[in-house]
Amino acid sequence: MRKTIESCITFFSWGALFLLLMALFTLIAYLIQKGADSIQLSLFFGDTTPLDALLLRRQVFDGLFPAIAGTFILIACSMLIAIPIGVAGGIYMAEYCKGKLKPLFNLTFDILAGIPSIVVGLAGLLLTILLNRHFPRQIAPCLLLSCLCLALLVLPYLIRTTQTALESIDPLIRKTAPALGASRSQNITLVLLPHSISDIISGIILATGRCAEDTAVIMLTGVVATAGFPRSLLGQYEALPFYIYYISSQYTGPEELANGFGAAIILLLLCIGLLGLALWIQRRFTTFLLFR
Amino acid sequence: MKIQTQSLCFYYHRQQVLRDINLHLPANKITAITGPSGSGKSTLLMAFNRLWEEIDGCRISGEVFMHLNGQNTNIYNPTLPLLELRRKVGMVFQQPNPLPMSISKNIAFPLRLAHIHDKRLVGQKVESALRKVALWDEVKDRLNDDGRLLSGGQQQRLCLARALVLRPEVLLLDEPTSSLDPDASAAIEELLLSLKTKCTLIMVSHYQDQIQRIADLHVQVLNGQCSISSNSLPENPSNRLSMN
Amino acid sequence: MLRSYSPSEYLFFTAAVFSGLLTAAVFGFLFFFGLPLLQSGQLADVLFSSWAPGKGLYGIYPMLLSSLTLATLSMLISFPISLGCSFIITALAPLRLRRVLLALIRVMTGIPTVVYSFAALFFLVPLMRNLIGHGSGMSILTAAPVLALVIAPTMILFFVNSFNKVSPRFTLAAEALGCSKIQKILYIILPQAWPGVINGILLGFGRAMGDTMVSLMLAGNSTAMPEAVTDSARTLTAHIALVLAFDFDSMEFKSIFVCGLSLYLLTALLMLLFRLSTAYFSQAR
Repeated sequence: MRKTIESCITFFSWGALFLLLMALFTLIAYLIQKGADSIQLSLFFGDTTPLDALLLRRQVFDGLFPAIAGTFILIACSMLIAIPIGVAGGIYMAEYCKGKLKPLFNLTFDILAGIPSIVVGLAGLLLTILLNRHFPRQIAPCLLLSCLCLALLVLPYLIRTTQTALESIDPLIRKTAPALGASRSQNITLVLLPHSISDIISGIILATGRCAEDTAVIMLTGVVATAGFPRSLLGQYEALPFYIYYISSQYTGPEELANGFGAAIILLLLCIGLLGLALWIQRRFTTFLLFR
Repeated sequence: MKIQTQSLCFYYHRQQVLRDINLHLPANKITAITGPSGSGKSTLLMAFNRLWEEIDGCRISGEVFMHLNGQNTNIYNPTLPLLELRRKVGMVFQQPNPLPMSISKNIAFPLRLAHIHDKRLVGQKVESALRKVALWDEVKDRLNDDGRLLSGGQQQRLCLARALVLRPEVLLLDEPTSSLDPDASAAIEELLLSLKTKCTLIMVSHYQDQIQRIADLHVQVLNGQCSISSNSLPENPSNRLSMN
Repeated sequence: MLRSYSPSEYLFFTAAVFSGLLTAAVFGFLFFFGLPLLQSGQLADVLFSSWAPGKGLYGIYPMLLSSLTLATLSMLISFPISLGCSFIITALAPLRLRRVLLALIRVMTGIPTVVYSFAALFFLVPLMRNLIGHGSGMSILTAAPVLALVIAPTMILFFVNSFNKVSPRFTLAAEALGCSKIQKILYIILPQAWPGVINGILLGFGRAMGDTMVSLMLAGNSTAMPEAVTDSARTLTAHIALVLAFDFDSMEFKSIFVCGLSLYLLTALLMLLFRLSTAYFSQAR
């Protein structure tokens, strides 16, 4: 009897894996089949020549270039804001936080991590409404607001990865430098951070991936379907994930739809690429970084 | 007297690990600490360089006086610079713990912590430290290799050299040979004996034979209390011979 | 014991406090904007009536119900699959395959939800339209499997992680007694690691509740009360995303704070449970 149950569970587990992979590969194969043909230079730049577009000499109207550029600027700014705060907060949590404060902070960051991204976006929108009451007609949803909100969205991930990376260091390594007369901050900068740097970097890259894919936050905080190349942090902008969503509901013909599939493939490649990079760094970079 | 403890008590969370320890340890001797596992041997050792302060949930009461820089100092005096203390009181652990950097950088690491950056001086100190532990000839051609690539015994000697590079007056050793093979252990023991002229050594050890070979004094920790004895036990004539 | 505070410590402390304050600030914003509703005693109306702007009803009850139904349904699909996959990755598969699968699952966590939803919109929705036989094909039942696919990797990784924390002392002892791989999981690992399974469920449910794109693109967004899982429905998250076009002072707009607050409180509650159970089980050890 027991034996039957055991083999049933084994069988079921393999079935579950098969089902999951089937679902995954079906959707991706479908995506590639529909979108592979549209991946050409014109998908990115429309009728504009690539050089003109890249040098910002001419606006690109029917290509993905402004959306891709918007996404990259979005990622860069959000991470610029989030990394220092997140890593510093993680260091505090792992190295300094003690006593009753620690569970309180832990819970707070868990809650922050759990807040749905649409709610983070909503909070950003409310911030602009509030500011608008004091500075009428000066503040509107914009690229900067999206960056701030995305930074808030990935902040708990950065804190957590830094914290766990530091906390998982072998206690012996932790004691080594203090026993030789290192101060707490020397221990952190010279031993503990270099020791966990690969984990921290891969955490940062994973957070970057989340910035790249998130649609809900930017929907409420300034992304639009056509804005051209983002000229200012205070202006509206285009982004790849929103373009995909927009096409899905507003496409007018098969050509636009094919562009949507192309954009989906590109976003997929971007996110998987970032993830692969993170995994590779976690495995490879440790020794390389420390021996320079 | 090099080190003197006065009613030293140690607590880990609610539990009292050491109670009312009053020890007098002479200079330039090797003192061995023994006791059943979990009895607080390593804790006692960490009371001498205040390393327990890095561990969450530890608390201490009582005083520890140490003869440092020619003065008798209370090492728990809040005005005493902690980092100075740890530079004067070196420590070597049970597991060799070279940091993930090159051999020479490992040795130079404490110098870097003490903000000594003069390259020539650092080079000299690294060499003399490595010579002291008889590792120089083995590694002089590969000083830039990762310290973790050395054999276990070499790693432990590397850690010893690293602890010695700041010329500590006291050296704490937490079972320094228990992860090594007999040959490597013998090499370490020989080194420790040669260090007696410059340092006061305090060593946690499990091995009775090792204690008899090299220790001058023997502190036994049992149920949180200590008893000290000279290591020239009368019922053990061979030991007396080796002592002289 | 006197402890000296270094300037860097203050810097790190500030960063942590700042992040903590932001968490509170998000709640503060939602609360501040929702306050008029709370004061005028309309909260119960908004929470428990249906959505019919024509009749002056701005209740979010249908959305609340849709969110919970969709999250539960997708968990029902995702949980057994995730558990099965984590069994495979922990023990059942040969070692090399395990590594490959684990890497694949990690990569899956990075696939954008908008990409899943986009592909499913054009692949799955027509299939469901034929299957259900009426409507657009967009329904809770269409969104649930896609959402299950989205949350599965998170749960699998969490399960695998907690299974791998079971001490090798136990597993080696069992293996030395000749127990098979599935026996090792069922009789050694699972009894030790089941709190991890519960925590994984809490996390997965939180993710399912909080996801916007899948339900926005696949569930149909009808504001009517869903009568069956084959009905089109609008979740809390989708409601926030959709209502924005309205005037800032309208009741439509006010209702989304209640959506936001409910989502915030629900996920905070899940996280609190998660922390409590982690603390409880680690103490029980």
